[in-house]
Amino acid sequence: MIDTFKSVIDALSAPTVSFTLLTVLTPLLFPPTDWFDKINRKLGIYKLWTKTGCFVGMAFITFFFIVGYFDPNFNITLTKPDNFPIVLMVYSMFFFIWLGMNKAYINDDRLDQGMKPLEYNDPDDKVLVWPDLVYIEFIALILFMVFLIVWSILVAAPLEEPANPAATPNPSKAPWYFLGLQEMLVYFDPWLAGIVFPMFIIFGMMAIPYMDINPKGEGYYSFKERRIGIFIFMYGWLILWIFLIVIGTFFRGPNWNFFGPFEYWDPHKVVPLNNVNLSEYFWVKMLNTGLPENIMLREFMGFVAVFAYMFIFPIILAKTWFKDLFEKIGPVRYTSLMLFGLTMFSLPIKMYLRWIFNLKYIIAIPEWFFNI
Amino acid sequence: MFNNDERYWDIQKLNKWFAISSILFLISMGWTFIDDNDDEFKVYQREFRKMEIEVSEKKLQQELEAVKAERVSYEEKLASAQSLLDTQNERLAELEETLQTLKARYYNENMIYQGQKAEVDGLKYLVEAENAHHDAHHGPSHKDDYAAAMDLLHEYKLIKEASEIEISKTEEEIMQIQADVKLRKDQLNVVLKDVNIVDNKLTKIDRERMTFANKVGDVVRDLPIIDFLDPYYKVHQVVVKDMKYDVNFAAVPKVDRCMSCHLGIDKPDFVDAPQPYTTHPNLDLYLTSASPHPMDNFGCTGCHAGRGRGTSFVSSTHTPSNAEEKARWQEEYDWEVMHHWLQPMLPTQYTEASCFKCHNNNLDLKGADKLNLGLSLVDKSGCNGCHLVQDFPQLSKVGPNLTKLDEKVSRDWVANWIKAPKKFRHNTKMPSVFGQDNQDSPEMQAWNDAEIVAMSSYLVSENGGKKSTSDHRFMGNAENGQHLFEAIGCMGCHVIEPDPVETETTLKDQTKRHGPNLVGVGSKTSAEWVYNWIKDPLLYNPESRMPNLRVSDEDAKDITAYIMSFTNEDFNAMPGVDLDENALNDVAFTHLSKQMPEAYAEKKLAEMDLDEKLHYVGKKSISHYGCFGCHTIDGFEKAKPIGTELTEWGSKPVGKLDFGLMHDVDHTNHAWFDAKLKNPRIFDRGKVSPPLDLLKMPNFDFNETEVEAITTAILAFNGNKVDEAIKAHNNVDEMAQEGSRLIKQYNCQGCHLIDDFGGQLVDQIGAAEYAPPNLNTQGAKANPKWLLGFFNDPSIIRPNLEVRMPSFHQITDEQWNAIIKYFQHLDNEKISYRDDLAFDKHSIEFKGGEMLHELGACNNCHFYGETFPKQDASTWAPNLAMTKDRLNPEWVKEWLRDPQTMMPGTKMPAPFLPTEDLLTVDGAENDWGKELVKMNGDTEAMLDGLRDYMWSIKGKTNIDKTIQDYFDEHGYDFGGDDEDDEDDDDWGDDDW
Repeated sequence: MIDTFKSVIDALSAPTVSFTLLTVLTPLLFPPTDWFDKINRKLGIYKLWTKTGCFVGMAFITFFFIVGYFDPNFNITLTKPDNFPIVLMVYSMFFFIWLGMNKAYINDDRLDQGMKPLEYNDPDDKVLVWPDLVYIEFIALILFMVFLIVWSILVAAPLEEPANPAATPNPSKAPWYFLGLQEMLVYFDPWLAGIVFPMFIIFGMMAIPYMDINPKGEGYYSFKERRIGIFIFMYGWLILWIFLIVIGTFFRGPNWNFFGPFEYWDPHKVVPLNNVNLSEYFWVKMLNTGLPENIMLREFMGFVAVFAYMFIFPIILAKTWFKDLFEKIGPVRYTSLMLFGLTMFSLPIKMYLRWIFNLKYIIAIPEWFFNI
Repeated sequence: MFNNDERYWDIQKLNKWFAISSILFLISMGWTFIDDNDDEFKVYQREFRKMEIEVSEKKLQQELEAVKAERVSYEEKLASAQSLLDTQNERLAELEETLQTLKARYYNENMIYQGQKAEVDGLKYLVEAENAHHDAHHGPSHKDDYAAAMDLLHEYKLIKEASEIEISKTEEEIMQIQADVKLRKDQLNVVLKDVNIVDNKLTKIDRERMTFANKVGDVVRDLPIIDFLDPYYKVHQVVVKDMKYDVNFAAVPKVDRCMSCHLGIDKPDFVDAPQPYTTHPNLDLYLTSASPHPMDNFGCTGCHAGRGRGTSFVSSTHTPSNAEEKARWQEEYDWEVMHHWLQPMLPTQYTEASCFKCHNNNLDLKGADKLNLGLSLVDKSGCNGCHLVQDFPQLSKVGPNLTKLDEKVSRDWVANWIKAPKKFRHNTKMPSVFGQDNQDSPEMQAWNDAEIVAMSSYLVSENGGKKSTSDHRFMGNAENGQHLFEAIGCMGCHVIEPDPVETETTLKDQTKRHGPNLVGVGSKTSAEWVYNWIKDPLLYNPESRMPNLRVSDEDAKDITAYIMSFTNEDFNAMPGVDLDENALNDVAFTHLSKQMPEAYAEKKLAEMDLDEKLHYVGKKSISHYGCFGCHTIDGFEKAKPIGTELTEWGSKPVGKLDFGLMHDVDHTNHAWFDAKLKNPRIFDRGKVSPPLDLLKMPNFDFNETEVEAITTAILAFNGNKVDEAIKAHNNVDEMAQEGSRLIKQYNCQGCHLIDDFGGQLVDQIGAAEYAPPNLNTQGAKANPKWLLGFFNDPSIIRPNLEVRMPSFHQITDEQWNAIIKYFQHLDNEKISYRDDLAFDKHSIEFKGGEMLHELGACNNCHFYGETFPKQDASTWAPNLAMTKDRLNPEWVKEWLRDPQTMMPGTKMPAPFLPTEDLLTVDGAENDWGKELVKMNGDTEAMLDGLRDYMWSIKGKTNIDKTIQDYFDEHGYDFGGDDEDDEDDDDWGDDDW
C-alpha cells in the first residue's frame, strides 16, 4: 500500500507530469473564467477552501512528510537542516493561501448577498496604529524571535567543508530561495535565467499596481472581483517559483538528475540529454543541409519566432481576444503587461518545448554568448 | 487613556498574548544560556577534576609519608626559633614603630628632593639656552640661580640619604632578630617542597580545602556570561603555527582543543585512567616539553589528524579502528561521520602515516615500524614503478631485466608464469595480473590467454631457453653446494622455501626475502645459465642487484647443482597456454581501432600474419598492463608509468575515490585502500566494461599485516605539508639520505646490523662471531678512504669467517660515497680525510702501550701481517697490520677502552689496564715495566700508547692468499651453534 503510494508519487513527480498536472490544476483552483468556475463547482474543488479542506490539505502534506520520514531515501533529503525551511514553506504556503481564499470566498458570498465584506469596520473604517497595529506586530516579532532562537538551538547550522575548486559537491545546490532560479537554468541560458528573469520578476511586481487598475478588492479579501489577476499571479508564484524550489530541493539529485522523492539518489545514474537547437531542426533535419556559415542567417528562424512571440503576438491579441482589455487599460499598460506576462509564460513554453521536442535553444549563438 | 471602543482588538487579550510571548521569550533566552553552557567537555572536566583531587590527595599522602621522619626535627627547630623570637617581641615592636616614622620622614624628604631636581632641570635649560644664543640673549643671566639651586639640591640629597641609611639600619636589625625563624622556615620548606606543590594544587582545585571566599569565587567564575573572565571549566587549546590546515584558498594554523577532554594526556599520573583521561602511551616521545614532539609545536591533530577545533566526541571526528568499536561508539556516544570534514582522525592503526610528513627523507624511523614496513613493501613490491610518488621515488626496477630472456627460459614457461606466477613459486613478488575476479568469463579468459601468449612471444623467441637443465659441465656436488649456499652468505638475501611458511611479515623478515625464493629453479632454466649467473650476475643483467660472491668455478658448480635440485613438477606438467586465434584477432583489432578508424583497422589486421599479430598484441599488452614498471623490456625504455600518481593520494577526498557499485566498503579512504589492496579488481564488481577498460592493477596477495602497512604508507603520501622549520632531519646531507636508501636497495641489512637493524643472516649462521660483522659505529670506525677501496675490492678482514663480503660491481663510486656518508651521518662523524697518525716511538706512552700489548697477548688471535695467531683458526681476528689504514684512531681508542659497550657480545676482550694501586706495590716495575709505572694508572695515556703501538705494526695488509691456502688445506671445521661453548674457552679470557 505504502509502496504503491510511493511509486505513484514518484511517477507523478516527474517534472513533465507534475508540472503539467499543476498547470492544469491551477485554473481549476483559481478559476479565471466562468467556464473553469463551473468545473470547479462541479468537481467540488472549492471545498478545499473550507475548514475541512484545510484539515484535509494539512493532513495530506503531513502524511506525505511522515511517509517520507520513514522512507530511507526521502529521509536523507527531508532531514537535512538545509531543507527545513522548505518543509516550513510547504506548510505556510498552503496555510496562507487557504486563509486568503477562505476569507475571499466568504466575502464573495457576502457581496453576492449585497452585504459588506467582513473586513469592513465602521463608517470611518480606520484602525489606530497604536495599539492596534504596532502591538500585534510587536507580539508577532517576539514570537518569531522565540521561534528563531529555538530553531537555532535545536538544529546546528549546516556548515560544510571549505570550498574546494577541485572537489565540488554533487549535486551543487544554490541556497533554497534560489533553487527556483537554478531550475530555470536547466532551460535557459544563464544571462536570461540568472539576470533578465530575476530583474523582470522584481520590476514586474513593482509594476503590478500600475498595470492593475481594478479598484475592487482593495482592503478586503475577494476572489471573484479579480480572478484573472489572482490566477496569473498564483500561476507565476506557486508553479513557476515555489514549485520550482520544491523540485530543486527534493527532486534534483546527483548530476542534477531528476529523482522521485522516494528514489535512491544513485550517483551512477545516467540520463541522456540529446538536445537540439531550433536552427539544427530547421537546416539539418528539415532542409537536410549543413548549418550556414552566417550566424544571422543560421539563426533567422529563431529571431523570427522570438520577434513574433514578443511583438507580433500581442498586437494580434490586442485586436482579438484582449480587445476589451486593450481598450480599458490603454497601450502603455497593455505593452508592459504583455512584456512581463509573455516573458513569464516563456518559461513553461520553453519547458514544454524541451520535453516534447528536445529543443535546446530557439536562438543559439554561443559565439556571442547569446542563447534564448 | 484609550477608549477601548475605538480599538480594533481587545486590548486585554493582547496584553495576555504579550505576557505569554514575553515569558516564552524569556524561557528561550534561558535555554540559550543553558545550551551554551552545557558543553560536553565541561562534563569531562568536572569528572577529571574529581579524579585529579583524588590523585593529588593520594600523592599528598605519599609525599607526607616520605618526609614524615625528617620533618619532625625541622619543625622542632622552627618551634624553638619561634619561641626565642617571642622573647624579643617588645624590641621588635619598637623597631617596627621607628621604621614607620622613618619611612614617613623619608617620604617627605624625597618629595622635596625630587621637586628641587625638577627646578634644577628647568634652570639648566635656561642656562644652556643662554650659552647657545649668547648674542641674541638680552634678559638677566640664570647662571647664579642655577648654581644656587644645585647647592640646595645637594643639601636635600644629603638629608634624604641620611634617612635612607637609618631606614636600612633599622630594617637590618629587624631581619637579624627574625633571621633564625626565617632560616628554619626555609629549611622546613625545602623538606616540604613536594608536599607544598601538591598542597597548593589541591587548594586550587578542591573546594573543600578552600576558604569561604574562594569557594564563592570558584562557583562564580563559572557562571554564565561572567565565565568569559577566568573560568575553571574552559576550552584548552594550542595553536600550532608550523602545521597548517588547508582550506584550499589559504592554509590556516592548526588549532587543537583535544586537551579540553583528554585532560590527563600529558600528565604521567593517569596511565590507568579511562578514556578520555588516559595519559599518552609514549610521553618520552610526545607531548612533554622535554620530548622531541612537544604539544605546543605539534599539537594533536598534527599526527592524529581530525578536527582539532571540535570539543565534543562527534565533532572532533574520532574514527573507529574497527567495526566493533564503531558499534560501541554509536551506542555510547551517538557517533556518526562528519561528512564535511575532509581529514577525519586516523584510526589508531594508521597513525604512523603522519610521521612521514616531517620524516620523509628516507631515514629509517625508529618507532614507526608499520610505516617503515609499508614503505619497504611499496619499494619491494614495485608500487612506485607504476604509481609515481614524488616523496618516495622508485630506486630501480624491482623485477628482473627481461631483455635477454631467450638465454634463460622458454616461451611456454614464460606464458605459464605470466598466467599464474604463484603456481610456480608460492611467495613470488610477481603479482598476478590474470585469473582475477573481473576476468572470469570464458570470453575474457580466451582474450587474456591471447594476451599472455602474445606477451610471452614478444619476450622470448621461439627457441628461447631450451637448454639442458642437467648439463654436468655446470653441475658439481649438490651437498657441498648446499653447505656453500648456507655458509658463504647467499641466505643474506635468498631463502629456499618449497612450501609456504607461516611467518609474520616484519621488516627483518623482508631482508631475508630480498631476492627470490629459489624454489623450482630446476624447472625454470638451465644449469649453464645458473652457473654463469652465480659467476657473474652483471654479465646477464647489468642492472641486477645480485652481487658477485667471487666463488671459484668448482664452488659455482656445486651451488648450481644444489639450486637446480629444486624443481616444480606440477608446474612443468601444466599444459601450455592455448592460443585462440579469434581472441587474438579481437585483441589486435580492439587495439588497432583505438588508433585508427575501424575500416583501416580491419584492413591492417588482415595484412598481418600470426607472428606480426603476436608481436603487436604482445607489445600492446605489455604496455597496457605496465609490465615495464618492474621489468626492463626492449622497446619500453621511455614508457611512462601506467598507474595513478600517489604523491598526495592519502589526502584525496573520499568522494573522489571510485567505490564503483560496492556498497559494503566503508566510505573512508583507508577502507578503500584496504579493499583495493586485498582485491585490486573489487571495484569492477557489477560494472559492464569492455576488456580494455577493466581495472588492471595486479593482485599481490598481500596478507592483513602487509595491507595495513601499505595502507599506512599510502595515507602517509598526502598533501598535509608542514613548515620547513619542523621538518625532521633537515640537516641530513642529501648524500647520506641516498646512502640510506642504497642500503635498503642492496639489502646490506640482510647480512649486517646497521643502525641497530638487520643482520638476519646471524640467525641462519648461528653464532654471531662467524656471521657478517655488526656495522654499528662503522662511520666512526672505518677510514673512508680504506672503506671505498674495500667496497670496490673486498679483502678478508675476519679470517675466521666463511661468509664473505660480496663484490657489488654495480654500485658506483658515487653511490659508495653516499653509503659511507650515511655511515658517517649515523655516528655524527665529520672527517673524511685524515693525515697519518703521528706518534713518537720513544715516548713513555708508546713504550707503555707496547708493554700492554705484550701482556695482552693480542697475537693469540690477531694476525700480524702474514704472521699467524697463536691460537687456532676458530678464534682468528683481523690482521693488525691493516689497522693503520683501516681504522680511525679516535675510534680505536674508544674500542680498546670498552669493546663490549660498543659491540655487545663481541669476542674481543678489553685490554687489562693496571690501576694506580697495582703500580705502586713493590716490584711493580718488574711486572709492568717502568714506563707503565711512570704513567701511574693514567687510563687515557695507556690507551693512547696502545693505539699508537698498533699504528706501528708492520706487515702485509692483504693476506687473503695466505688465509685461503690455509683453509683450502684445513677446511672450516668450526662454526655453528654446537661449538659455541668450546669457543668461549678458546678465547682464554680468564688468563687476563
